Amino acid sequence: MDTITSKLRTYEEINDRIAKGEAVVVTAEEVINLVEDEGARRAAREVDVVTTGTFSPMCSSGVFLNFGHADPPIRMQKIWLNDVPAHGGLAAVDTYLGATNLSETAPDYGGAHVIEDLVRGREVTLKAVSGGTDCYPRKEVTTDITLLSINEAVMFNPRNCYQNYNAAVNTTKKTIRTYMGTLLPDMGNVSFATSGQLSPLFNDPTFRSIGMGTRIFLCGAQGHIAWHGTQHRPSVVERDGKTIIGGATLSVVGDLKKMSADFLRAAVFPGYGVSMFVGIGIPIPILDEEMLRATAVTDDELYTQIIDYSYPHRQRPALGTVSYGELRSGTVTLDGKEIRTSPLSSYAKAREIAQTLKKEIEESQFLLQRPAWTLPREGVNNHLE
Amino acid sequence: MNAMIKRKVIFTFPPEIVEKPISHTLMRDYDLWVNILRAKIEPSSGGKLVLELRGDEDMIEQGIESARQAGAGVTLLEHDVLWDKELCVDCGACISTCPTQALSLDRDNFKLIFDFEKCVACGTCAEVCPVKAITIEF
Repeated sequence: MDTITSKLRTYEEINDRIAKGEAVVVTAEEVINLVEDEGARRAAREVDVVTTGTFSPMCSSGVFLNFGHADPPIRMQKIWLNDVPAHGGLAAVDTYLGATNLSETAPDYGGAHVIEDLVRGREVTLKAVSGGTDCYPRKEVTTDITLLSINEAVMFNPRNCYQNYNAAVNTTKKTIRTYMGTLLPDMGNVSFATSGQLSPLFNDPTFRSIGMGTRIFLCGAQGHIAWHGTQHRPSVVERDGKTIIGGATLSVVGDLKKMSADFLRAAVFPGYGVSMFVGIGIPIPILDEEMLRATAVTDDELYTQIIDYSYPHRQRPALGTVSYGELRSGTVTLDGKEIRTSPLSSYAKAREIAQTLKKEIEESQFLLQRPAWTLPREGVNNHLE
Repeated sequence: MNAMIKRKVIFTFPPEIVEKPISHTLMRDYDLWVNILRAKIEPSSGGKLVLELRGDEDMIEQGIESARQAGAGVTLLEHDVLWDKELCVDCGACISTCPTQALSLDRDNFKLIFDFEKCVACGTCAEVCPVKAITIEF
């Protein structure tokens, strides 16, 4: 008997079809109409891969760089790139530059801007100092580098691609500045930050194809999922009679030298600091009908909570539950008040990423990679005391 | 008789002309309907005045010229509020903070729409834009 979990195809069969240019690929938006038109059963038998996309500010991002050695060589202990401090606690000429590190001299400039400048091919000034050692006698170096001039540049982001995230509101009488953008007084606006029905982890909510090794679109390059993200807390809760999928996260890795500023951008949130828009797309293999049904989820079926970001403690109060369909309509109603919404995540870019990934798979440039293990279905939730 | 038109204009006042009644002149001598959208003028440092002018097209041109003659800098609002579509990532962070609802997302392609008809050059969008795609001279 054929059920929704009966196997329709394997990774190997999908990759064979991709290699021959025969794979049927649709985006996570297109699959919604397809299922409406012909039903999930028939659609699952036609479609090999569904592509997803997100383009959102993701603070927990950064790059590992290896500069190559100067002559005489230096063991870099304190490092700056365009006056933005980078980590000096690795080997002599290795560093990690975090996206949110702020410039010591320029306002509204940080690690994400250095990363974007490197991707755009611009020169970046490297300055480093050291106490000097017998094997690394040099004590100071100042020079210009580019993405091409250095040995390695590897993006490694500890936490990206949240499955779901709060919508934010401010109940005080004063404007507040947050990582969820500027929140106007008296619940004057609501901000939210996912691509909803296009977002990768909403389309494979039980992580059947998501895990260590899964090949992904990362800022224009082909990257991989490295691990589950920090604060990975998959959960499903019921609120106000609605199901809210929780906060699974991804750690991702990819070659910065192959990335494009079309899909990676520095971001400044006034009063908060610097973050980075990271573009991620994940292809979902349709191994059975159940997987296709999951990709057909719509914004009207996906919910989040509106959280009061003016509350200055860890456990901020939830003021209501809304669907992404409502949030994306431009206004939501809360306590009888109509409030305008701002997505901080670009839906236009998310769509462009899903379409770009679809094209790459159709043109045999992107093969699917089966994960070595899939994301844990449970997380930990510890706090500082 | 020319058609009535409206135009949003930014007048820049150097300190030495802050006492000249420029808005009054526009109304009295050029028969213009004047709506003050935004104003910040200090006697010591001068400042800017954003007006929406409505009236006969020739009279608007002549009124603007008279303000120039009186020593005010004059630019059209859409020339002073700059939106760089290449830099814009269409995230929509600006939309809900705009007091006049000049910003929205296109319902079909989800790209940003900037309605300069509604803009009063307050600068909020320029301040909140994460990628600095909007700049304003004010």
